[in-house]
Amino acid sequence: MLKKIAIEQISQLTAVLMDMGTLLAPVKEISGHNFMEIVDPKQVDLDFYNTIMSPKGAFFPHKEDFVKYKIGKPLSAAEPVLFNMKPAFLFGVRPCDVKSFEIMDIHFNDGGIIDPYWHHRRESTTIFGYAFDLDKPVEPADFYNTLGIYAADPEGSDIFMVKKEKELLLKSITHKGEKLLAHLSVLSSATSANEKYFEEYIKRGKEYKTRFTRVDPEAVALELEDVFDNTDFWKKISSACLSCGVCTFVCPTCYCFDICDDTLFGKGTRRRVWDACMFTDFTVEASGHNPRTQVYQRLRQKFCHKYSFHIRKYGVISCVGCGRCIRYCPVNIDIFTFVDIATKAKWYKRL
Amino acid sequence: MEFEPKILGIACNWCTYTGADLAGTTRLEYPPNVRVVRVMCSSRINPSFIFRAFQLGADGVLVGGCHPGDCHYNTGNLYARRRLATAKKILEFAGIEPGRLRVEWISASEGNKFAEVVEEFTTQIKNLGPQIKLKIQEP
Amino acid sequence: MIRFKQIEERLKKEAKRLLESGAVAVVLAYEKGYDEKHPMPYAAKNVADVENIVFNEYCNYNMARYLVRYPQGTKIAIAVKAADSRAVIQLIQEEKVKREYLVLLGIPVQGMKNPKTGEVIDSKTTCGMHNPVLYDILLGDEVHGHKIVSPYDVLVQYEAMDKDARWEFWKKELDKCIRCYACRKACPMCYCDPCFIDQSKPKWADKAPQSSGNMMYHLTRFHHLAGRCIDCGECSRACPVNIPLYLFHKKVAKECEEMFNQRAGMSIEDKPVLIDFRVEDSDKILE
Repeated sequence: MLKKIAIEQISQLTAVLMDMGTLLAPVKEISGHNFMEIVDPKQVDLDFYNTIMSPKGAFFPHKEDFVKYKIGKPLSAAEPVLFNMKPAFLFGVRPCDVKSFEIMDIHFNDGGIIDPYWHHRRESTTIFGYAFDLDKPVEPADFYNTLGIYAADPEGSDIFMVKKEKELLLKSITHKGEKLLAHLSVLSSATSANEKYFEEYIKRGKEYKTRFTRVDPEAVALELEDVFDNTDFWKKISSACLSCGVCTFVCPTCYCFDICDDTLFGKGTRRRVWDACMFTDFTVEASGHNPRTQVYQRLRQKFCHKYSFHIRKYGVISCVGCGRCIRYCPVNIDIFTFVDIATKAKWYKRL
Repeated sequence: MEFEPKILGIACNWCTYTGADLAGTTRLEYPPNVRVVRVMCSSRINPSFIFRAFQLGADGVLVGGCHPGDCHYNTGNLYARRRLATAKKILEFAGIEPGRLRVEWISASEGNKFAEVVEEFTTQIKNLGPQIKLKIQEP
Repeated sequence: MIRFKQIEERLKKEAKRLLESGAVAVVLAYEKGYDEKHPMPYAAKNVADVENIVFNEYCNYNMARYLVRYPQGTKIAIAVKAADSRAVIQLIQEEKVKREYLVLLGIPVQGMKNPKTGEVIDSKTTCGMHNPVLYDILLGDEVHGHKIVSPYDVLVQYEAMDKDARWEFWKKELDKCIRCYACRKACPMCYCDPCFIDQSKPKWADKAPQSSGNMMYHLTRFHHLAGRCIDCGECSRACPVNIPLYLFHKKVAKECEEMFNQRAGMSIEDKPVLIDFRVEDSDKILE
């Protein structure tokens, strides 16, 4: 089913979605766009390239409270924080970010232990994917083509949106999306010309080229295993790295977290917060020993996790080429160049 | 009910704390709002103590040390003076009322001064009202 | 007029000479990143590496932050702009590096640009100085004849604000903080291991990116940098959510200058202001 709405009247759609549940959409802030819970239908701004923070926060928030406790009381008196999620709508997610949810599902949703918080959020959320604007030049930092994702890839979205001049075309991709789209009377039906435009757009998306290097997961995993012990190579790659943590926090496929007990005056909360393998004390052990004290060790861990260990464990590369880590890195470290080196030139083996 | 401020007092062992003791033995009256913590020297004070005190609900912080030149450890309070002055400027620029942090030099024989300062400071904090800006509302 | 290409040539020439003769083990400069507007910090360790060195108007990085990574005694040549030279001086004052092991390649600058906004970087967000304070070799002509603008002029509107309005301003800004610690790592002066915020005994602040923890982290950091911040602006440029940290650092630097009559990072003979005292310091500073 294909429907449409004039971009000027987006606030009508957002108002309806707000009434039906929680709406998370991009909002323009001074530093850039970010996904936020919408409180005013006019807040939503679709005139952006991509958000600063990835939308993983919709399913895996930066800070999540689990249990409230009181010191001195028995364990049975601790109260789990009630988790009550209304239906949610994640509006305006770029194709690379939609793909990231699939990768994160491996850790939070598939087999073994299922994270009930992630699972519940994923179930109750309808994803409105949003194609990149093919009339604008490609961002130099992005490289999602390398990971097999296209600029107008509808896979993974419940409803996929494409901009056509002053209108927004919305197409249902999944059953969940179709049900919702049928319900939204604020949208008007699309014409057959619109249908054609939509299909053409998806095709054109495949021609929209980002930086590309051929990456075979098996081959790159092997390369990195080979070069793991070459400390000179890693020291060279990481000489600029500040080991700060920005790349981890903006990345849509990074999922490390820390569990903290924050207590004040006898009352406290056990919560989960994002952690980063780039932090110096990430691997500090109870004895005080830290196996990764050097920056090159932490950077090696980061790159190898995404392009080697993850492939060995789960068969997929833990990266979607969104380019955020490169854009927001204070020293412009480029993971794409690194992957390019690892898959092509073997000069580092002579180091 | 009238607002009773919670004031953290940090007193150096050799001068201010002894001075406070003297105020007690001479049966001087002063408001009970200052909770005194004894440190060996005013230079023991990490400005983070002050920021943290405000976060934990203190309405005011009163720091007492020896008079500059008379520090039991010779120079401790001279460092403390610079450090606490900087802390004060930081609180001011952040928008906290500057009157909430006060540094006084009170010697061991100045029991009167201690009682007076506590009286004055408590009244001042009462006028400023409860400190809600930095106070942590919940963990 | 700064001729960036010319400075780049001379930088490469000096780096080659120093590495060839063995006078230094490493040259800290810049290299090309994924495009022209995004250079990267670079450590050239041999003559072949020198080819990669670049210098253009986007080379804002303060290379002094990498000095503490090398073991004491390593001979290092470092490309320094005005604020960077002050950072090196401050590190020498704090005895983290020794003057005799450094070769300072001074670069006078004007017209450096912020790649995020395209704006020219001036005294509004940095120290505003054009010429390096300390150098062994000067790679370009000194910049003179410009109107001296105080780096503290930008504070006037904030100092004029009512304290409640200022509180609201800082609360709004610091609430944006995601605790990525890019500011701390970008700063040449933040070399503490472990940093206070990483300690759990005592735990100064929560890890969660919320108001109370963010306030504690930033206020304490402003204090730890009092009299040490040399106003390079790197912290604010590193911040992914654009918090104007430079405003607070400038304010603290201004107060320290007024109270103690000394500017950070100007002379290797100075002692950092908060580990020094004068008996004649006035009690007025406590008012």
